[in-house]
Amino acid sequence: MKAFLLLPCLLALLFATPGRAAATENPRALIARAATEAQPAQARQLLAAAVGRADESVAPLLDAWRRDALFLHAQADGGRVAVLLTGEKDERGAQSALRAADGQPLQDEAGRPVRLVAADLPAAEHDASLRRTMKAILDLAELAAVDPTRRARSVRNLGLAQDAEKLPVLLARESVESAPEVRRALREAIALLRLKDPREEIRVAALQELQAVSSLATSDLLARVVQEEAAAGNRLALEAARRAQQAVEWHRTKVDFAGTLFRGLSLGSILLVAALGLAITFGLMRVINMAHGELIAVGAYTTYLTQAVFGTGMTLPCFGLSVPIPGLQFSGAAREAYFIAALPASFLAAATVGLLLERGIIRFLYRRPLESLLATWGVSLVLQQAFRLIFGANNVQVSSPSYLSGNWLVGDVILGWNRVFVIGFALLIVLGMGLVLTRTSLGLLIRASMQNRTMAACLGVRTERVNALTFALGSGLAGLAGAFLSQIGNVGPSLGQGYIIDSFMVVVVGGVGSLGGTILSAFGIGGIDQVLQQYLPLVAPGLAWVPGIGGFLQNLAQDAAVFGKILVLAGIILFLQWRPAGLFAPRSRSLDE
Amino acid sequence: MKLKFLLASGAIALGLSSSGLRSAETVKVGVLHSLSGTMAISETSLRDILLFTFDEINARGGVLGRKIEPVVVDGASNWPLFAEKAKQLLEQDKVAVTFGCWTSVSRKSVLPVYERNNGLLFYPVQYEGEEESQNVAYTAEAVNQQATPAVDYYLKEGKKKFYLLGSDYVYPQTTNLVLLEYLLSKGVPLANIGGGFRRDGAGKIISAGKYTPFGHTDYQQIVAEIKQFAASGDACVISTLNGDTNVPFFKEYAASGLTAETCPVVSFSISEDEFRGLPADKLVGQLGCWTYFQSLNTPANKKFVADFQAWLKKSSVPGLVKEGRVTCSPMVLSYVGVYLWKAAVEKAGSFEVDKVRAAWKSGLTFDGPGGKVTTQKNMHLTKNVYIGETRADGQFKIVSSFDHVYGEPWLKGKFK
Repeated sequence: MKAFLLLPCLLALLFATPGRAAATENPRALIARAATEAQPAQARQLLAAAVGRADESVAPLLDAWRRDALFLHAQADGGRVAVLLTGEKDERGAQSALRAADGQPLQDEAGRPVRLVAADLPAAEHDASLRRTMKAILDLAELAAVDPTRRARSVRNLGLAQDAEKLPVLLARESVESAPEVRRALREAIALLRLKDPREEIRVAALQELQAVSSLATSDLLARVVQEEAAAGNRLALEAARRAQQAVEWHRTKVDFAGTLFRGLSLGSILLVAALGLAITFGLMRVINMAHGELIAVGAYTTYLTQAVFGTGMTLPCFGLSVPIPGLQFSGAAREAYFIAALPASFLAAATVGLLLERGIIRFLYRRPLESLLATWGVSLVLQQAFRLIFGANNVQVSSPSYLSGNWLVGDVILGWNRVFVIGFALLIVLGMGLVLTRTSLGLLIRASMQNRTMAACLGVRTERVNALTFALGSGLAGLAGAFLSQIGNVGPSLGQGYIIDSFMVVVVGGVGSLGGTILSAFGIGGIDQVLQQYLPLVAPGLAWVPGIGGFLQNLAQDAAVFGKILVLAGIILFLQWRPAGLFAPRSRSLDE
Repeated sequence: MKLKFLLASGAIALGLSSSGLRSAETVKVGVLHSLSGTMAISETSLRDILLFTFDEINARGGVLGRKIEPVVVDGASNWPLFAEKAKQLLEQDKVAVTFGCWTSVSRKSVLPVYERNNGLLFYPVQYEGEEESQNVAYTAEAVNQQATPAVDYYLKEGKKKFYLLGSDYVYPQTTNLVLLEYLLSKGVPLANIGGGFRRDGAGKIISAGKYTPFGHTDYQQIVAEIKQFAASGDACVISTLNGDTNVPFFKEYAASGLTAETCPVVSFSISEDEFRGLPADKLVGQLGCWTYFQSLNTPANKKFVADFQAWLKKSSVPGLVKEGRVTCSPMVLSYVGVYLWKAAVEKAGSFEVDKVRAAWKSGLTFDGPGGKVTTQKNMHLTKNVYIGETRADGQFKIVSSFDHVYGEPWLKGKFK
């Protein structure tokens, strides 16, 4: 309890120097005054006076200032007042104005609330130096934030700044802090500040603390400390600094390894999602479906349309006519739910296109696979041009809903929510597909027809219908893939071109016709690719000894992203020499195989 | 029969003489951009702005009393085709000047054609320098008019660690090498420059930075590397990533929790026009550096933007996109190029390339939408450089500017 009282006192003591008059003013009013100040130097001084005294409540105000949403309103007496605009816009675009200084509605002489139009007002100016001061205010204000993640972040920032004067603030916080995450950050920050202490034994203790925490953020600082202590000839401190450095590097090795695993899993699941539709249309049905990529694009564009419908609508430059698409004008969570609606929509849209494709072209070509290659390639060109004519040649913007754009940080390994979502969903789809194919009567009919159409027809299976349904199912899965890919990459007319090769690669390596093989090959290719990307640059310096091409190898591995891919492709070629039928070759008794 | 023949030949003669008359009143000007293929997205905008500029000049009486007659050809994002089209423009159409090219490789491929025929090409897009042809007027930003001012800005903001990232081709590779020398000359240690280095047998650095191919989609590993690089604070990214690879990069960047506050990215290839296809909400606060931004608050710029929008409304050019159009630096440098050519022709009193070049070298000025530009003896331009922060509406808020920066193409080995 005592410490609670201590903290504000300390803060006030520490930062009470600039602007004596300002010191008595409340921080909100100070910030509002700084915003109206025309002289940058004056504004800086006023704002600096608020450092350390403001609490969390000023965060929205400073945020508005930085986003150019803090406006200056000229009053009748010639003075200017900083205002925030809130509430619904009326017909002339005006919103009700709140005084930034106290958050109360701004009133004119007659006492009526003032309504202002944002576009008519100048926004409060800010420069890099003001923004840094704002950050300092927020850092200290954030120390008292309710959300522990934000508290931890502000503690880390204070630690990295290594301003020894702020040590009492951190110690005061440590005595009241209970969240483990913030406590860890505090240990790190306090140790970092103590590195500035002139006494060697304190520094050694701080270094031991850093060794125990082993945070990646301290790695640069430790490298510098090692140099400084070596130069100063402090044996004990040098020893401790070296050990701390080793601990951080070991931690980095572990993070890299876990990160690589996760990224491999994530790339694998993207490959899997993209290839799953093809595993059906090409794997099971043996249609060399070159339009698979464009079916993915159909799904991605459907996601784009759904987003527009849930939002404010849009105008499509469709075939030179401007076609208006009405929007439902949702906002907030309802608008962000568009992605949930986009999943079935993109499945259905792509399935419909697939159905038309099958009925219109492919059903005449089941016995002529090479001609199906040419025909579907033609279809893919037609579809690409259609996208251009309907949606324009430019890429379109698909924004990620907030529930897909954050991340979890598990021991310094970044797990992006979109990636976790793709991994989970890939597994779900695969499971669903497996169940449909092996546990339902439709699945039985599909497998029978794909194995031997004539025999299945003789036994009374309506193979025409099964063919159409199967192709629609495969196309629908491609559409689902499109919805996911819109969250991590481009949506444009040539979206499909980027995935068609990878998709075929996955299906062929896995063994045409084998769903299990497709899964294994997707994760295998994704994993190997990420491992090579991560570890080639580490291996590269060791390759200089290779006679003749050592230098070449050494430099090539620097382009790990490209070189890794080349190695994967080369590996696949060799693998297919050894096992032409892929990982799992489905056995069949039919004569033509 | 005979009468018919006579009539027909008379008609042909008439037609000929009238077309002969027309060519005396007009001057042919080549427009050489990709109107199809991958580069069409960017280059079509340049064709549009050029046609707008020609209309504007023609409405005020043309150049030396002659109306500009544009000859528009399509390079189709195909570099050898660029050379063929350039040859056609110079040898068949006998154009007085050409405005064209976007990628450095297209410029390199037409360069021999212009040098052989003593033609004149106006090149408007930021490039890597290390070139100074007498047959090219570089209205483009040189490296010291874009990349090094951005580094200066970062240094002023207190950044200490720089991560270099680019698409794998000549412009990013050359720019990053120059930047490496520049950073070292500013006292930034090698350990604080991220992205990796390639060395030759003797251990000399021949390439700096991380490169990805065009169309690369998986930025997970690179972003994780940047995240670790930036963990200790005061870090920034200098990106020369081109085109739509920016989308997966910035989506990954945002998803990893990196922001403009913790580790800003300055991109040299994203202008207002590129923004039309990028997720603007993911880029808020990230930086751009150009010699023009649409948000420049000057009367000249406001008039230019309004005139272009008005022209778009009434123009009947086939295939012209009218909705959501913006103006950007390469467009303005094309616009400025046409006016500088006009000024040079009028000063020389002739359309002859040698005389026009001499006029250019004498130091012409033009007050363009991006501020005053001045031609230089080395065929480049002195101009203002601006640094802007991205806003959610795809425009830039100008945060810093450098006045009258001299365009210097030869920078390798300059910073010690």
